[in-house]
Order: sequence, then C-alpha cells, then structure tokens
Amino acid sequence: MVIGLPKAMLYYRYKVLWETFFKELGCEIITSADTNRKILEDGIKYSIDESCLPSKIFMGHVYSLIGKCDYILIPQVVSYGYDNDVCVKFNAFYDIANNTFENINILDYSINVMEGEKEQKGFIKMGKRLGKSYFHSLIAYKKAKKAQALSDQLKSQLQADVLESNQMKLLIVSHPYITYDRLIGYPITEYIKKLGGLPIYADLINKKESLQRSKEISDSLYWIYNKELIGAIKLLEDKIDGIILLTAFPCGPDSLVNELIIRKSKKLPTINIIVDELQGEAGLQTRIESFMDIIQERLNQQERLNQKEINKKRIV
Amino acid sequence: MQTAYLGVDIGSISTKGIIIDENNKIIADKYIWTEGNPINAVKQIIHDLRQQINEKEFKIASVGTTGSARKLVGAMLGADVVKNEITAHAIGTLSVFPEVRTIFEIGGQDSKIIIIDNGIVVDYAMNTICAAGTGSFLSSQAKRLGLDVTEFGEIALTSQNPSKLAARCTVFAESDMVHKAQIGHKKEDIIAGLCMAVVSNYLNNVGKGKMIKPPIVFQGGVSKNVGVIKAFEQVTNEKIYVDANSHLMGALGVAILSKRAKKDKPFNLNISDINYQTIGYECNKCPNNCEIICFYKDDELIDSWGNRCANGEPTERTLKNA
Amino acid sequence: MQKIISFPHIGNYYVPIETLLKLLFKDHTVISAPKITKRTLELGTKYSPDFVCVPFKYNLGNYIEALENGANILIQACGGCRYGYYAEIQEQILKDLGYQFEFIKITWGKFNPFEVYNLCKKIGTSLSFPKFIHYVLLTLKMIKVMDSFESYIRENIGFEMKKNSFETIHKQFLNELKHIHSFRQLNKLYIKYNQKLKKVKINKPNNCLKIGIVGELYSLMEPFCNFFIEKELAENNIQVSRFITVTFLLKKSRIEKKILKSAKKYLKYAIGADGTDSVEKGQMLAEDGYDGIIHIKPFGCTPEVNAMPMLQKISNDYKIPILFFSFDSQTSETGIKTRLEAFYDMILMRKEQERCKQLI
Repeated sequence: MVIGLPKAMLYYRYKVLWETFFKELGCEIITSADTNRKILEDGIKYSIDESCLPSKIFMGHVYSLIGKCDYILIPQVVSYGYDNDVCVKFNAFYDIANNTFENINILDYSINVMEGEKEQKGFIKMGKRLGKSYFHSLIAYKKAKKAQALSDQLKSQLQADVLESNQMKLLIVSHPYITYDRLIGYPITEYIKKLGGLPIYADLINKKESLQRSKEISDSLYWIYNKELIGAIKLLEDKIDGIILLTAFPCGPDSLVNELIIRKSKKLPTINIIVDELQGEAGLQTRIESFMDIIQERLNQQERLNQKEINKKRIV
Repeated sequence: MQTAYLGVDIGSISTKGIIIDENNKIIADKYIWTEGNPINAVKQIIHDLRQQINEKEFKIASVGTTGSARKLVGAMLGADVVKNEITAHAIGTLSVFPEVRTIFEIGGQDSKIIIIDNGIVVDYAMNTICAAGTGSFLSSQAKRLGLDVTEFGEIALTSQNPSKLAARCTVFAESDMVHKAQIGHKKEDIIAGLCMAVVSNYLNNVGKGKMIKPPIVFQGGVSKNVGVIKAFEQVTNEKIYVDANSHLMGALGVAILSKRAKKDKPFNLNISDINYQTIGYECNKCPNNCEIICFYKDDELIDSWGNRCANGEPTERTLKNA
Repeated sequence: MQKIISFPHIGNYYVPIETLLKLLFKDHTVISAPKITKRTLELGTKYSPDFVCVPFKYNLGNYIEALENGANILIQACGGCRYGYYAEIQEQILKDLGYQFEFIKITWGKFNPFEVYNLCKKIGTSLSFPKFIHYVLLTLKMIKVMDSFESYIRENIGFEMKKNSFETIHKQFLNELKHIHSFRQLNKLYIKYNQKLKKVKINKPNNCLKIGIVGELYSLMEPFCNFFIEKELAENNIQVSRFITVTFLLKKSRIEKKILKSAKKYLKYAIGADGTDSVEKGQMLAEDGYDGIIHIKPFGCTPEVNAMPMLQKISNDYKIPILFFSFDSQTSETGIKTRLEAFYDMILMRKEQERCKQLI
C-alpha cells in the first residue's frame, strides 16, 4: 500500500505525524517533489483563478501524485476546539480535489473538535480503511503523535539556542507552508541569510505559549494558525530586530490579521511582503535589502548611544 | 435597388464598420482607431463606408451596433439592434465557420472565449481584472522593445527558445522582460515568450474550466499576430483558424442580427453634419447620486442612461439646470 | 452624553434591524447609516487593507458616514468566515482615524440570547429579558415576512403589466414595517400586503426564462454591491429565484446536515460559510430545470471560491450554464452588463433550440 503525501499546506505541520503513522501501519510513503515551476503551473491550471497561491501549489502537488500511489492523503480541518478554527480553505481541500480530478483516490480524516471529530478518531478511521485493527492504528497514532511532539520540541530548542546570537534577527511571521515552500518562502529566507541576517521562524515557537500570548495583539482572533504565529511576536519581541510578515495573495485571514499587527505592534520595524505567482525575484530582493539596511542603521544608532552612555559613566 | 445592412463594432481601441448585402456578403468595410472618441470615429467610419458603395444601388435597411460603446452609438445611429459583443461575435463567426466549436477572441482591452455547441453559444467568459495579455499590452511591450506591434509575430516565429515570462500583470511583465533582457536573452526569444505568455495567460484566465473543442477560430486584433497563433497551436495541439476578416466578426454579427430584426426604416448615411454631444452629471436628488449621461443630437435629448431611481429621469429641463 | 446607535447596511434588512434597535433602546437615538453611495465605497476602500473582501469596505464606509452623522455607538454582528473577524480590525482602523465611539461586537457563532441581552443592557436597554426576547422574535418574524414578499416580487416583477407596480408596493411595505411594534400589527400588515401583491396583474408565460442566483450573502443581498443584478434580469422578463436569505441563514444551523446530505454527489464535508449552500442550491436549481445559474461573490471570497469547482461540475453534469461574478471596489459596471446580456441571449437561444427540437 502506497500513501502519497502532497508536500504543501499541512504537510509542514504534520510531516512526522503522517510519516510515522503510515510507516507503523506498514505502508509505503511517497512524497511529492519540492515545489517547482511545473508543479506551480499545474496547480494554477487546476485551480480557480481567485484561489490563494498556497492552495494552487497544493493542487499542483496533488496532481503530481495521481497515478503514483494508492491513496493521496488530504485531511479536512475545521476546528481544534472552541474559538480555535482554521481558514475555510482547509474545510474544502478534500472536496475540491475530488471534484477537480478524475481517478483520484483520496485518504482523508477530519479534525472538527467542535463537532466531536477529533484527530485520534480520524486516524483510527483511516487505519480501518487501510484494513488495520483498532489497536494497531491506535498504537501507531500514539507513536506518531509522540514523534511529532519530539521533533517540534527539538526544532524549538534549536531555535532558542540561536536566539542568543548577535546577528541581525528577523522574525518570519508566516504560515509554514509559505515559509518553507521552495518557490515562495525559501528564496526569501535564503536571501536574508546571504545578507548576514538570521531568520527566526514564528511557527517553531512552542504553540501553547504563543496561543496564550496572541490575546495581547488580538482578542477576537479565532484562526488558530494565525494565533500561533502572532503570539510568537509577543514572546520574542525583545529578542528580535525586525518582523517580516510574509503572506501569499490573496490569503483571507492574513489580509486582516497582518493589518492589525502593523497597526498595533509599532515597537519593531515591520515589513509586509505579499507574494503572488508572478512575483519577480528582483523586486523582492530590493525590498528585503532596504528593510535590512534600515534595521542595521537603527542598530548602529543604538550602538552609538550605548557607547556614549558607557563613556559618560566612565567620565563620571 | 438592393437592400443592405450596416453593422458597427465600437471597441475601446478600434472601431469597425461593415455593410453586407442580403446574402451576408461584405460589400464595404472599414477599420479605424477609436482614439477615445467613439462619436467621431463612427462619423468617420460611416463617411468612409459611404464612399465604398454606390448609394444608388444599395439602400441601408437596418443598423446594428456592438462593442463597449454600443449603447451610445446605437442611440446616435438609431440602431435597430444593440447587442453585446459576445453574441455578436458568435453570430458573425458562425456565418463564416458554421462548424465552429470554440472562439478565441483577443482585442484591444478585452479578451473572451465563446464555446459553441450545435450552432448556439453554450458557455463564454471575458477577462475580468485587467488588460494584461490583450492587444494594448502587446503594443506597449512592443514599444518598449522599439518595435512596431505588426512586426512582432514574424519576429516571434524566428525564435528557437522562447523566454519564460510572467505576463498576468502588465507591471510584472514589464519588469520581468527588462530583467530577461538585462541577463542576455535574445530579442526574438523575449518576443516569442511574450506571445506564449499571452496565450497561457489567456487559457488560465479566460479559458479556465472551459471545454475547448475543435474547430477553434481565433479573432480580434491580436489574431493578426502569427506568433500568438503559433503559440495557441502549440498549447492546444489543434489547428487554429483565422479568417482574413477576423477583426470584423463583431460588426458582421451585429449586421446579420440587424438584418434578422429588420424594421425597414431607411437609414440615412449622411450624418457628418449632425452635432452629437454627451453630457454627464451626478443626479444629486437622492443619496444614490446616480451618474446620468444624456445624449443629444443637435440639442435634442435622444437618450439617457445611468439613472436607477424613479425621480431621476432626465428631461430637457434637468439638463439645462445641470 | 446622548447615545446615538448605528449599524452597517445590508440590503433592505436595515429596516427590521432599525426597528428592533429603536424598540430596544427607547431612551437613545438609533440611526441607520446613510444609504450606500459611491462615496461609501470610496471611503471604505481608502481605509481598508488592500486585499480584504469587499463587504469589509462597504461596512467601513457605512461606519464612517454614520460617525459623520453623529453616531457614537456602532454595532457589528458577524460570523462565518472572514466576516467574523471584521469587527476588531474595523474598530482599530476607525480609532486610528481619530473617531470617538464605542464598538459593540455580536458574534454569530456564539449567538447566545443571554450574552446578547447583557450586551444590550450595557448599551442601555431598560427592557426586561422576556420583553427583549419578545422583540427579537418579532424582528425575526419581520425578516421572514420581508423575505417571503421579496422572493415573490423577485419571481414576478419581470412580468408586471404596469411598470413599477411591485416597486411601489414594496416601498410602502418597508415604510410601514418601520412602525410595527407587535405581532398583531405585523400579522395585519402581512395580510394587507399579501393581498396587494397578489392583486398586481402579471403576464407570466408558463415557460418563461428562469434564473437562480446563489453565492455569498452580502453581495447577494446588497444590490449596490452587485450592480442591481436582480433588477437588470427582471427587466429582461426573467424569473429570478434566490434561496439564500437571512431567513435561510437563521434556520441553516438546524438543517446543516440535511444540506450536506442532499449535496452528497458533490460534497462530503461542509466547505465553509455559504459555500456549501451554493453547491446544494446549485444542484437543486439544475435538477429543477432552471435555464441558468448566476453565482455571485466578493473577489477572493474563500468559501465561494471553494464552491466553484463543484459548481463547474454541476454545470457539466446537468448541462446548465453558470455565470460567475466577482465583485470588488474596482469592478466595472460595463463588464458586468455585457456578460449579463450575453448570458440571457445565450439561455434564450438554448431554450429556443430545445423548443424546436421538441417540435420535430
């Protein structure tokens, strides 16, 4: 049995969970390639024009897996609990793929906690569909859950370590499927590194903590993925030098949330970058470069002030 | 004396006029730039058509207008039929290619796709957001490269390796093109790339989700560009038919429609001395503030549009006050 | 300070809402925002985030114009998709613009009568809880009556013998609705106008063209937002049907599972806000032999974009044409009109062809 994982959207959140679970059940896994031009073009071809860029990319990945596996995994996510919903795009991927592609075999599970559909229940149902027993699936799920938590913790720890570095630190506030996508976010973070900056990833922060702190920026926000991201701003405020809000056109939640961040968090230099399928790289690089120049200027100024302070004290 | 029918297609960029006889045969045609002044363009085109026919031999029995200024010009000419360009193009094309299933149309600022089954329109779409990938986009890019847009197609055909360009948005396309030129792409490759971008942009935008079936007919101003035709053939793997009169299909269609709706009130081609004028104003009578446009023929109000309320209907008097 | 309460527009629903607020806050002033004009949209667009959906811009424009007229308490009731998050951003934008006001948010998702009552007390209602509930129920009934009348008018206005007969009655009805204070009055009003409407002479052929409209609530209900599309269609002698109304919305939570079940050919899951309904109603219209479907949404509306692949499939499966519209502050009216005209040319020709086939 071969399970296909589209390397887009929730893959970046659940990679370890999915891979461990299906391996434990004795399935083979095939992951689609890093996003490339062909995947993007296919995605555009099979998507409604007004869909957001990440969802178009997702469709490209799904398309690339058709015929290469027995099932393609597409979860449906609605809510993780009271006031913790997700963008309605995640409600619909299963049905969109099902209605767009013929001969597609989808393996799905649903997370809709408010309606009693919990993750565990979904995984056990999947196991059943693959002909596995309740206990086999349950054990596999528990193992997978642990592995995912461990991996998240490790990444979070690694990032905490570099936070002490004295390089220029830029917080990337962006959904992981944008941040780590080979075509959208990756060139940007690479460019920051090339210019001597250190990208800090908001999605790697401990999710429970950042959920709580998100209230300080927005108290009525109910999109959990966005809450997790903006909480990181509050948690790391004193440790970073600037904020990059990275979003893709036309993301519904980000269109509002990022507006609020810009209006409310005036402490740090902030830039809002909206990527779309036609973006030329040159323009983006110029914007990032000048943003980093501004921060460097601020840092230098701060340095001079500190120096003066020290000199003053010496004189006294 | 024979009966003839006049069709006028007034687009944002160009104005097309045509006179057909009882058998749909074109007996006069003319293509000029609208230059932002549809009234003048129509006066000029009618003047020109007049010279082409023998007025003793032909009598214009009815008139039809289409295109974005169809209403204005319809009022001006007292047209019998005022039709949207989608229907007009479909009718015109069907008269030349009765078997057609798909019509690609790329004009100055509009592009559309029309799907036909059994001789009737079953589906269509128009570009919604901007003019990228249409005629005006191509000619502005041509200008950038120091070329005339009419040379474009031939040059594109010489390319071995078309550049990949992002052409959904004029702004992006321009910067992308400059960038490609800076890093040493050949001119013909960039031009072929532009043609390809127009096509893929069109198919992803207007053609999204449409059942494209042969035979395919391509028309509108851009259909004169062999580079774009070739790109269409490559992408669709089908033969693309382009009629010599492909730019006149809208006018032809509406002339045929006017023939069908024939009211037989003789039409006078001598309009060059009549003074036509439009005056626009905001109604201000209620918070709706409808933007009303009044149309005058020698100081006589012949039509108005834009009013949405019961009390805003313009009269001769409202106008004097406005 | 005197409290002046205001709220944004959505079609004709401002009438029952204004009536309710006036009943709830007898000691305060209630003003509805000035009617939507081009200026409303311009103001809204100027201060809104770039790619937010267009109802946000209309609402914001309404608020600014209401504030200009002296309002100091603004109400936003919202939920569903992005709509639920409008309030906080709008409040921040208006505060940043320097307006002094109180912003009351009622979230649909957590619609709980006690909570809403407490909110109203905070604003300053002197009513008891039972009385409060009584008036809320009265308003819901008003909306129901209004929706049923409007639906009748929509289906018949294209065939009235005397122009403007329906519109005149409709206007009178809305005016009288403003003064309703009890169920008894409402019942009387219903009977009176029901008779009036049924008396209007219409000339409707059995096989007239029928178009069903589906899509996102706001752009469906606010005619300014959709360029008065329903009126435009009616003027071409077309019967227009629309099932997505506030009445439908109110009972939707109870019948959600049923909706999903009847659309199971195209949907396994609910796809967000009105998207699910668009698919279900789209399929229903196709099965009921409508001549065409028009799908309306604000540009980028996620739930409705979600519904589009299914609608396209319905269009192919049932051979029913669907016209898709997206509205934004930039939308050009000419483009809309051209496409609309072509649409009824198309369905008219289809119908004629079918008729010919049947004759043979």
